Amino acid sequence: MRLTRRVRLAGVALAASALVLTACSGGSDDEGSGDASDAIISVNGSEPENPLIPTATNETGGGNPIQNLFAGLVAYNADGSTTNEVAESIESDDATLWTVTLNDGWTFTDGTPVTAESFVNAWNYGADPANAQLNAYFFYPIEGTTEEGNTPEGVSTISGLTVVDESTFTIQLKKPESDFPLRLGYSAYFPLPEAAYGPDGKITAEYGERPIGNGPYMLSESGWEHDVQISMVTNPDYEGARTPANGGLTFKFYADLDAAYTDLVGGDLDVLDTVPDSALATFETDDVQAFNDPGSVFQSFTIPETLPHFSGEEGKLRRQAISYAINREEVTDKIFDGTRTPASDFTAPVLDGWSEEVEGNEVLTFDEEKAQELWAEADAISPWTGSFQIAYNTDGGHKAWVDATTNQIKNALDIDSSGAPYATFDELRAKVNDNTITTAFRTGWQADYPSMLNYLGPLYGTGAGSNDGEYTNPEFDTTIADAASTEGDDRYALIEDAQAILFTDLPAIPLWYSNIAAAAATDVDNVEFTWQNLPDYYKITK
Amino acid sequence: MPDSTNKPQRPGQERFVAPLDETPLAAIDNVDIERAPESQWKEAWKRMRRSPMFWSSVTILAFLAVVIAFPQLFTSADPRYAQLSDSLEPAREGHPFGFTKQGADVWARTVYGARASVAVGLLTTIIFVVVGVVTGAVAAYYGKFADTVISRTSDIFFSIPLLLGCIVVVSVINNTWPDRGFWGSVLVIVLALSLFAWPQITRQMRAAVLEVKNLEFVDAARAIGASGRANLVRHIVPNAIGPVIVTATISLGVFIVSEATLSFLGLGLPSNVMSWGNDIAAAEVQIRSGENLRVLMVPSVALAVTVLGFILLGEAVREALDPKARKK
Amino acid sequence: MGWYILKRIVQTIPVIVFATLIIYALVFLRPGDPILNLFGDKPVSEATRATIEAQYNLDKPFIVQWLLFLKGALTFDFGTSFSGQPVIDQIQRAFPVSVTLALMAVAFEAVLAIIIGTYAGIRRGGWFDGISLVVSLLIVAVPIFVIGFLFQIFIGIKADIDWLPPTVGGDWTITDLIMPAIVLGLTSLAFAMRLTRGSVSENLAADHVRTARAKGLSEGKVVRNHVLRNSLIPVVTFLGADLGTLMAGAIVTEGIFNVPGIGGLAYSAILKGESPTIVSVVTLMVLIYVVMSLLVDILYAWLDPRIRYA
Repeated sequence: MRLTRRVRLAGVALAASALVLTACSGGSDDEGSGDASDAIISVNGSEPENPLIPTATNETGGGNPIQNLFAGLVAYNADGSTTNEVAESIESDDATLWTVTLNDGWTFTDGTPVTAESFVNAWNYGADPANAQLNAYFFYPIEGTTEEGNTPEGVSTISGLTVVDESTFTIQLKKPESDFPLRLGYSAYFPLPEAAYGPDGKITAEYGERPIGNGPYMLSESGWEHDVQISMVTNPDYEGARTPANGGLTFKFYADLDAAYTDLVGGDLDVLDTVPDSALATFETDDVQAFNDPGSVFQSFTIPETLPHFSGEEGKLRRQAISYAINREEVTDKIFDGTRTPASDFTAPVLDGWSEEVEGNEVLTFDEEKAQELWAEADAISPWTGSFQIAYNTDGGHKAWVDATTNQIKNALDIDSSGAPYATFDELRAKVNDNTITTAFRTGWQADYPSMLNYLGPLYGTGAGSNDGEYTNPEFDTTIADAASTEGDDRYALIEDAQAILFTDLPAIPLWYSNIAAAAATDVDNVEFTWQNLPDYYKITK
Repeated sequence: MPDSTNKPQRPGQERFVAPLDETPLAAIDNVDIERAPESQWKEAWKRMRRSPMFWSSVTILAFLAVVIAFPQLFTSADPRYAQLSDSLEPAREGHPFGFTKQGADVWARTVYGARASVAVGLLTTIIFVVVGVVTGAVAAYYGKFADTVISRTSDIFFSIPLLLGCIVVVSVINNTWPDRGFWGSVLVIVLALSLFAWPQITRQMRAAVLEVKNLEFVDAARAIGASGRANLVRHIVPNAIGPVIVTATISLGVFIVSEATLSFLGLGLPSNVMSWGNDIAAAEVQIRSGENLRVLMVPSVALAVTVLGFILLGEAVREALDPKARKK
Repeated sequence: MGWYILKRIVQTIPVIVFATLIIYALVFLRPGDPILNLFGDKPVSEATRATIEAQYNLDKPFIVQWLLFLKGALTFDFGTSFSGQPVIDQIQRAFPVSVTLALMAVAFEAVLAIIIGTYAGIRRGGWFDGISLVVSLLIVAVPIFVIGFLFQIFIGIKADIDWLPPTVGGDWTITDLIMPAIVLGLTSLAFAMRLTRGSVSENLAADHVRTARAKGLSEGKVVRNHVLRNSLIPVVTFLGADLGTLMAGAIVTEGIFNVPGIGGLAYSAILKGESPTIVSVVTLMVLIYVVMSLLVDILYAWLDPRIRYA
């Protein structure tokens, strides 16, 4: 049995180790320490659903390769802190007008320089609804965009962006956000070279097939072979914070994680970022390196206010009763074999400022008596009728936990409770979005950038884009807004206050955090995982 | 195109003329003279009563019927009660095969799951055989326009692979008709499966009837004045139905299993309807570790025995009905 | 015969028209919203939605969408997937591996079914017949996802035979496909086997066989020349039709063995509501099916001189 636990390093130590790595690989040939530095590491991937354009890709099949082909203003460290990459500085006096200064010497792999325009043009392109870019949403904090991040009708540039000179531009936000630079490592904010655009100003199909980037890797000669793999080699001109310790990456495509795990065990794959359900029970004893640590995905289910018996005081009592009726430890243990961590708040444990102690989170502990008591209190207001169902999409492997959770609710509260399956994600979401859903439904969130606020504002803020339960509480809104413009410990205190409000209202019932449940072949070293539950590709050696 | 009767016969295919009393023509004459036409089925029943295969299948199916009608006789556990702390626990008093991953009694779920699984298999097979036999026989016997319409329609549905078609149909119906209860859920699967399966029988029946249609005894029946439809029902269909029965009884098993495959893809019966398919799909994750395989085995064995029962019945019926096989 | 083939080809046109119409209607009736799939849990602006809907004709009534598809198909333009990839490219990539896999599966199935089925049919009621019944039954009764995993884990991983890799992947070779082909072929092996057996035992009692025996032909010759030929008719019908099913219906097998084929392409297109891809796959299936049944019909005439086409 081989079991390697990921060691989570403090931000400072990690930045230091990255530097050491850089130094090492820089002079590796002479020192002889880089004997395996040209090894190509194979990792699991899937056929990208979109062209390989940063603003067009929002799923992991294309997103993971893009993260390696491009470098943004900042890069994320494994713990979620950031290091400036293309940016020399990102500064602001009022957290609203940000000035970005670029480092000199960055080039795309076609030799053209990375300038302020490379960023601003790419962002403008991404926000213009005529280009139908899937990541437009990420531009919504910037002045001159709609709530969904698009430029208004008839306008094709974001008014909040101004190019000052070749290496400087400014970003005007709609409201103060002290953690705005944290967002800038996301792929939607990557720069694009001139070569990306065709004569009509649109990004060409050829570019989407074979992007030219500025990241630690570039596409190899074979590049993106559809339905087979994407292979990349190191970019010799790259001088950022993520200098590869290996010779290249191959994203091998799998439609099914089970097949990927089989290949890993059979020695045909080096690193697998998600272990399939069928191997959860055994992957820590199989002949592989196993990784199982808390991750950044927050899982919950939402009971909308519009359901009968779930509004007002009665709804509050029933939500609490249901939360008390769920034995999260047992589900994470029996159904997920310990690859989920029971939730103790509404965010995720890998983030700065996260705390296990949040006021009111005792509602997440299993207490059958308390559950029955609260349920009876609610029955006194209006007797319960019907069945309590949780809707889920069957294409995402949710059946087992929904069945287990509804069984617990059924047993604890003595009511009828079951899962309500929907064939696909979009069928469920269509019902949720137009508020015609008549049951509770599963919800989950993985942050776009490593900040606790990103788990709260977009989900529970009044009128926010992903507020599925149409939750509204002015007190919560103001607390969140205050937190956004504050820094340091004060900010975390405000976030805790905001969560305490959520714990009384329970707009979503927190369940657990998805762990990083990953595996690597035994001959692979330096596999570390980031706050995004992905391997830090550039560090892997073989 | 020249008629094949005008062509020289292929070597080894010369027509052998049997003595008159040995030809099927004589048999038909006998039937027509001495007994009412239904006697053919009566005769089949007589033959079937003597077949050990028939009685073993009857035993299995009768037992199955009792299980479906009175599941509480076979288990005292509540199949719907699941306690997660019992997850994958081994057998103990009152729970002969232990517990599922969800902590429900494996045996109780298998006993109660029989109803939905057998319902899916049986109902689909009935629809599939009735539609297929009628369309296939009509197409082959009447030929021309009827053949073209039926063959092309069956092409449409048969060219869409069963699983693919079912996935589309089930995902369409699933959410337009939520909360459809036990029979509603079963019906959706039955309709989806039979919609894309019937052409298989149609084609087989058509081929078989085409084959039988030109045999001597049919010509004879026609010659003695049997009407088209009577001829089809009385002489051609029973002679051509052999391969159909084989296909139908195996298909019954395939349909029960298809429900499991649909469950595996998340499009089978909803989890509040207990079925073997659901349980097998849920237990599939045990294969990799190889532990607690009984969770997978118990519903699988139940399924296998059930399929065996129906296949044996099919064989017995086929032998009894087949005028050619009985002469042996 | 030439006239007959031409007639059959002309008859294919309404089959394609209606098959695509049915699938288009079904996909259209599917209650989801494909644009939501594109955006995941992020909100979609009305302007972007309008752009995408116009791009993929999603804003038009389904009958118009379908007519536009047919119009494009006439010029071999099958549209693009939501990722902007031409559907024709997707199919071209997935088709070779699917065809190879299906042909291998059918070959495996046919050889095994005819040998075992014939022997069981001749020795009807004997021990071989009994064992073949039980084995074919077990295969029917075990879902393909169970058989597939068992093969993969016990033969692919545990036995670790070099030329039988547990997964296939995009850069496949013929030998890679042996295991998935066997698994795929097993799903309908029982059918073909029982059909052969039934047919053979039936034909053994037929008049012309008795004649052949009476002529003093050896038993082997009787079976080969007189029994098998007639017995193969239902089997050939079945196998011919099965080829298409094995191509696009191999969703589960393709998933388990990571074969980037037509089944997986169609399945993910269904889940994403990508009508052009689904309908193009169905069109292809109809074409294959029609060609196969035409071949089967021609084979009939050869196998059984009593069947004639005009």
